[in-house]
Amino acid sequence: MSWALASIVDAGLVLGVVTMLCGLAGIGDDSTDAVAFACVGAVLAALAAVARRRVAPPERPGTGRVFAGIGLLWTALVMFGTVLYAGSGTLARLDDALVESAAGFTTTSLTLLDAAEASRSVLLFRAATSWVGGLMAVWIGVVTLPAVLRSTALIGYTTGRRGLDLVPSASTGQRRVLLLYSGFTAACVVAYLLTGLGVTDALVVGLGTASTGGFTGRADSLAGCGGATQAVAGAGMFLAGAGIFVVWWIARGRLRSLWRSQELRTFVVLLAAATAAMGLHRGVGWGEAAFMAVSAVSTTGFAVVDWTGWGTATTVIMLVAAGIGSMMGSPGGGMRVMRVQLLMGSAGGELRRQLDPYAVVLVRRNDEALSQRTLDRLGGHQVAYVVLVGVGALLLGVSGVSLLGSVWGSVSAVTTFGPAVGEIGAFGLLDGVDRAERLALVPLMMGGRMSVPPVLAGLGLVMNWYKAAVRRGRFSARLALRRLEALAESRSGDG
Amino acid sequence: MAEGGVPAAAPTGPGPLRDRFASTTLHILGIALAAVSLGMLACALLEAATSRRDTMALGASALVAGAAGGLLWHLTVPGAIRKRDIFATVAWTWILTTVVGALPFMLAGTFAVPGAGFVEQVVNSVFESASGFSASGSTVLTDFESPGRGLMMYRQLTHWYGGMGVVVLAVAVLPFLGVGGLELITAEAPGTTSDRLTPRVSETARRLWMVYIGFTACATVAFFAADGFSSLYDAVAHAFTLAATGGFSVHADSIGHYDSVAVETVVIVFMVLGGASFSLHWRAVATGRLPHHRNSEFRSYLGVLAVASAVIVILVWLESGLPLGSAIRGAVFTVVSLGTSTGLSNATGPGSPGDYVTWVAGAQLVLLFLMVVGGCTGSTSGGIKVMRMQVLGLVMLRSVQHSQTPRAVIPIRLGRDTVSENVVSRVAGFFLLHFLLVIAGLLAVTALGGELETSLGSVVSALGNMGPALGEAGPTSNYAVAFSQPARLVLALLMIVGRLEILPVLLAVVPYVYRVRALTRAARR
Repeated sequence: MSWALASIVDAGLVLGVVTMLCGLAGIGDDSTDAVAFACVGAVLAALAAVARRRVAPPERPGTGRVFAGIGLLWTALVMFGTVLYAGSGTLARLDDALVESAAGFTTTSLTLLDAAEASRSVLLFRAATSWVGGLMAVWIGVVTLPAVLRSTALIGYTTGRRGLDLVPSASTGQRRVLLLYSGFTAACVVAYLLTGLGVTDALVVGLGTASTGGFTGRADSLAGCGGATQAVAGAGMFLAGAGIFVVWWIARGRLRSLWRSQELRTFVVLLAAATAAMGLHRGVGWGEAAFMAVSAVSTTGFAVVDWTGWGTATTVIMLVAAGIGSMMGSPGGGMRVMRVQLLMGSAGGELRRQLDPYAVVLVRRNDEALSQRTLDRLGGHQVAYVVLVGVGALLLGVSGVSLLGSVWGSVSAVTTFGPAVGEIGAFGLLDGVDRAERLALVPLMMGGRMSVPPVLAGLGLVMNWYKAAVRRGRFSARLALRRLEALAESRSGDG
Repeated sequence: MAEGGVPAAAPTGPGPLRDRFASTTLHILGIALAAVSLGMLACALLEAATSRRDTMALGASALVAGAAGGLLWHLTVPGAIRKRDIFATVAWTWILTTVVGALPFMLAGTFAVPGAGFVEQVVNSVFESASGFSASGSTVLTDFESPGRGLMMYRQLTHWYGGMGVVVLAVAVLPFLGVGGLELITAEAPGTTSDRLTPRVSETARRLWMVYIGFTACATVAFFAADGFSSLYDAVAHAFTLAATGGFSVHADSIGHYDSVAVETVVIVFMVLGGASFSLHWRAVATGRLPHHRNSEFRSYLGVLAVASAVIVILVWLESGLPLGSAIRGAVFTVVSLGTSTGLSNATGPGSPGDYVTWVAGAQLVLLFLMVVGGCTGSTSGGIKVMRMQVLGLVMLRSVQHSQTPRAVIPIRLGRDTVSENVVSRVAGFFLLHFLLVIAGLLAVTALGGELETSLGSVVSALGNMGPALGEAGPTSNYAVAFSQPARLVLALLMIVGRLEILPVLLAVVPYVYRVRALTRAARR
């Protein structure tokens, strides 16, 4: 399990530094949270720095271990956030702290905090949880799976050949991604400052934009902000949803790569289609439609208006947009444009085979033909994704949410979008949602954030343990039976 | 061999058939229309013998359908069946039969309620016909008293025709279609493949219809006895629905009209049997032994119904405060009705134990899941089918195993049989297409003014040929109230698409694309 430990240590180092900075930024505020956050952050960073020298990841960890490690990593992050929220008294109850922490690290725009009452440190820490979660998601998608596992079976979850450009090796890739992600965040924050936002607000919204987290310092998201701020948010969400590769190409001035990216072209077309479909609706402005479309597709969750009142067709478009989600290499969630493209190609191939059973239909990704085995595996993962949404809706429905609220809430949580039609609402506020329903959202957000394979790996481990336990049980039963027989024989012999 | 690997049928028949126009599509359409006209004629006779209100409408419709069908049958001869023509044949036969099948409703003015214009009457008639032939059971009929017995029986009869399939009926009377006939049956029949009961395809089709007729006769007798021998008309009408797992009833409150445990029990038993494979029923009759328990799909089907019933009973009992007996009665009937895609209801009125739209969201979500799943392959029910869900579940399980051992070769097994990877791919493709159609349908229906919850339930229900849906389209409500006219047409189309399991309708345009291409090439030359 040393790969998992090494990942947790890396994440702990980043999280410790960020938490400490949040605490330091809050000093001077009249809250005591600042000192607590600064101290905890400093201790965590120091511990992680010491541990980093001692824990070395193995050269080639197994697939199962990597996935189990990813699951463990997210769990550790969420637990840390929970302890800090509950320990600092920000949220009195442990379950509320768990929900807030899970929403933060999974970059889901759902919150229990009253932004008007929260201190600067808490607001910054909440945004930072999203930022760290987003960074981990990009690291896992862009570095861990392609560079550590090097498995073509995970083609739908990795970035293929183009990833080699940004990630020639795991360590270089990790460093480059951190630099790009931090640079992009800094650019967002500066842009927000230029539009007139205060420093704290600019930091919070900037972190929320770059990570597709969607937290702001206000209860009505970005509804009360000026047009310039909303325009910056729109552009930032687009880039965040487009992913780290697009940022990398822009930073390197590679416009041809931008044009040649099949996934980016589809992403733009989807965005345009969603904007047009919503903009045509009566009473919806084109600017609002474009903003909400990019918010949904990037699964950020910012809102400039209560879109749940726009009409049924519009809300379905939002649901579909969030369901498809962002591009590969983005901190956003959803099924991902690439995977949807591959699945559509696969379905088209099946239609073709109905007419000609012997037809050889190739599904390509950026000129790379994929094997049927890869597509089947991707199909299996997507079935699991749909099952996760279905089970989530059932969990919410059983815990008392309305039918629409259950379906929307489950899709929204699994895609890490956040806002939803029904009890949750357009601004992702969980005040009106019962305790059991909030808790039901936690596994959905976590499962969606991990993009299914780690969940399946977890299930696989449980299955293996179960099989081993059954085998052990049978063996023990057989042994006991033999002993009994031997005992009976010896007694009859004595007799 | 014809194009696409399907052997050609006899291109021309013996003797005088040589001069006729060769078109399998028109020939099969002709037979289907002729068969439907016979049903219309029988119902016209029933109408003449009872209320006489709609005799002329039914008679005229029978004449039109019979003349059109007879002419097409007589003037054409089945041509070579190319793979790409099979889907078009099935799709067009269904679409045109639905349109012609709407004639009796139009001519009788069944939907001529105050305030309804001509277009609305046409839309409602087509909707009712599509719902009937696709064995869905969704209705826009609000007045169940005015239409005569003959017309109401015709409405039930559309279910019966659609349940086994008009194309299977046509194949049964075409002895020389060969393997092309099997492809036609496969394109129409629910499931991934079609069971060949005998070496001859037309004989297979005939046996399937024999089982179907026998099933209907048994259902009639059982219903008649359970209802205290009070109405043979009711028994026959409901037997048509039960055999086809349709959902139409001659009463506005469906099975709730009888408020009888005996009737509900009989209906539950026949709904369960209707949702099972008719090939299994044939084998049971032919061999005298029950092969059902050895079939993994049938076992899973019963398992799904049992688990769903248990979950809903608990949820309804705990959350809705109903007495346990009422909860069991309402839940089991509803689960079996929706799990077999029948759509009959035992609700006696809004808010009664069987009115599932008043149940908690969790229970309604389980019902939504059942609407998606449907019955077994080879049955008359709709939905994705239990066998496909089994395969999808096993594909997911294989993904779990692959997460531990990525290079392992893990076959998918159903019972003792290994499912080929081709079938696995086909099932995954079908699931994706179904999913995409639900989204496209939902977008269309909501854009046409549907309420979100009602639209979601109705689109799933239409694609699964279920009948009643959620929200305003629940068991005690009506589609005329819940949807605009264009939305009703979209739902009607979805019912046909769902009945034919998507592919034939999607691929129906392919022959015309080929023809346009050929014409374009010729023009270039």
